[in-house]
Amino acid sequence: MRPVTLQDYKRRMLRVLVHVQQHLDDPLDLGALARVACFSPYHFHRIFRGMVGESVQEHIRRLRLERAASWLKLTPRPVTRIALDSGYESHEAFSRSFRASFGVSPSHFRASRNPCAMAAAPSGLHYLEGEPLIRFKTRRPDGKVMNVTIKRMQPLRVAFMRHVGPYSEVGATWDQFLPQLGKDGWIGGDALFLGICHDDPEVTSPDKIRYDACVTVGPGFQPIGDIGVQVIAGGDYAVITHFGPYNKLGDTYAKWLGQRLPRSGRELRSAPCFEVYLNDPGGTDPADLITDLYAPLEPKSVAPKPRPSLKRT
Amino acid sequence: MKTPQKIPQKLDLYQQHKADYAATRKPALVNLPKARYLAITGQGAPGGDLFQTRIGALYGVAFTVKMTRKFAGLQDYAVCKLEAQWWSDAPGENFARSPKEQWRWKLLIRTPDFISADDVKQAVAVLLKRGKGEDVKRVQLETLAEGRCVQMLHVGPYEKEHETVAVMKAFAELQGLRFHGRHHEIYLSDPRRVPPERLKTILRIPVIAR
Repeated sequence: MRPVTLQDYKRRMLRVLVHVQQHLDDPLDLGALARVACFSPYHFHRIFRGMVGESVQEHIRRLRLERAASWLKLTPRPVTRIALDSGYESHEAFSRSFRASFGVSPSHFRASRNPCAMAAAPSGLHYLEGEPLIRFKTRRPDGKVMNVTIKRMQPLRVAFMRHVGPYSEVGATWDQFLPQLGKDGWIGGDALFLGICHDDPEVTSPDKIRYDACVTVGPGFQPIGDIGVQVIAGGDYAVITHFGPYNKLGDTYAKWLGQRLPRSGRELRSAPCFEVYLNDPGGTDPADLITDLYAPLEPKSVAPKPRPSLKRT
Repeated sequence: MKTPQKIPQKLDLYQQHKADYAATRKPALVNLPKARYLAITGQGAPGGDLFQTRIGALYGVAFTVKMTRKFAGLQDYAVCKLEAQWWSDAPGENFARSPKEQWRWKLLIRTPDFISADDVKQAVAVLLKRGKGEDVKRVQLETLAEGRCVQMLHVGPYEKEHETVAVMKAFAELQGLRFHGRHHEIYLSDPRRVPPERLKTILRIPVIAR
């Protein structure tokens, strides 16, 4: 085995991008796209956003609109037909979306003399009629230092309460969870407060997002009421620290997993990331919040040892 | 995005007593009213085993007291930042001249006045039941009345505090005052992640007329 390289990541991501271009009329769900390139569904959306510079959903929507733009120019098809063929349920919804990307309405676009059928795209990737995609430019890490440490972790036994609903409301779950746990003395001074996000907020509808609020507990704790127990697997984790508000965590994940990790020689294990909250958002200015992000890694691939040469005697 | 969020009506002592925690890179005189803390004492080098165990015990009690009240639907409040007093048994006002192993400390977490000794006793009892260590028994409620103090923000590693203390001392002398009481510090930054050169610590030393 050899370490995975940026080229491996790019080759696999290219398969996804080609697949998207060739299946713009299909539903294109996230899990299927992740499978196309053997990415773990837990991390695919972040790797994609980091490498390509837009979310999977934004990418697909933009390509469908660019294709619609070329249909407007090159075919006599009525706008309503094009709207339906582009996956929109109404002329109005299509027009709104189209205007947001191209600055003009579809009919205006069709009438104009030299329209550009490309919407602004950080990746430089555009809809290409009949031309296969053979290369793309990845987003490069910016100059900012990102201190990544590799930690070998023992399994963590945690008490948790499951939150299902928008991320913006997980605070309510914590407010319910911690008092129940704390009043019985289960929160020691060395407890870790951590969160596991199971879903991608860009893809999963807000009312269905699953998030576990977790606190590390000893072996004596047993599930009670709404509070369950799970064990976070041990092994190697890449860890970085995020400074600042929680609503910027998504950007940090994407930059890290999509831009740095592919250049690190390591591959992500198919298990969710988790985050450890180091201070209390109740009495802390959002700018001063500190969060450690943990990404599970596959065991390090070891280069085969050179065979000791037999000494001739 | 993801975690406990600020909820309205939560008492934040740090915000409420802003004047007590006002500190810049310039020394200033402050007059501090009585303040209540959860406290635990010990002796030894900062960051040593005993020190860490006792920080854990103090936080365990602080969390448990808070969460018990919150569960009962009583007034919620934020657990304040860690503070500590430092001194030594050696004569002279500068504890830092003694070997670190001889330093004495009292770790403090500022706590609302409505927390009673019974609340603490109850929290200690449940923590003991969960096997959280005997040290929790040493956590007590205490009131400090520091009165007139020189206060200044120290930015940098803890090892360089003496530079800031020297500025504070010169300032006190100019005002006809001298240090009189335990060196007190309030840890604004988390030393686990913030690099030493960016650590912010409020230094506070009580003074009296010379």
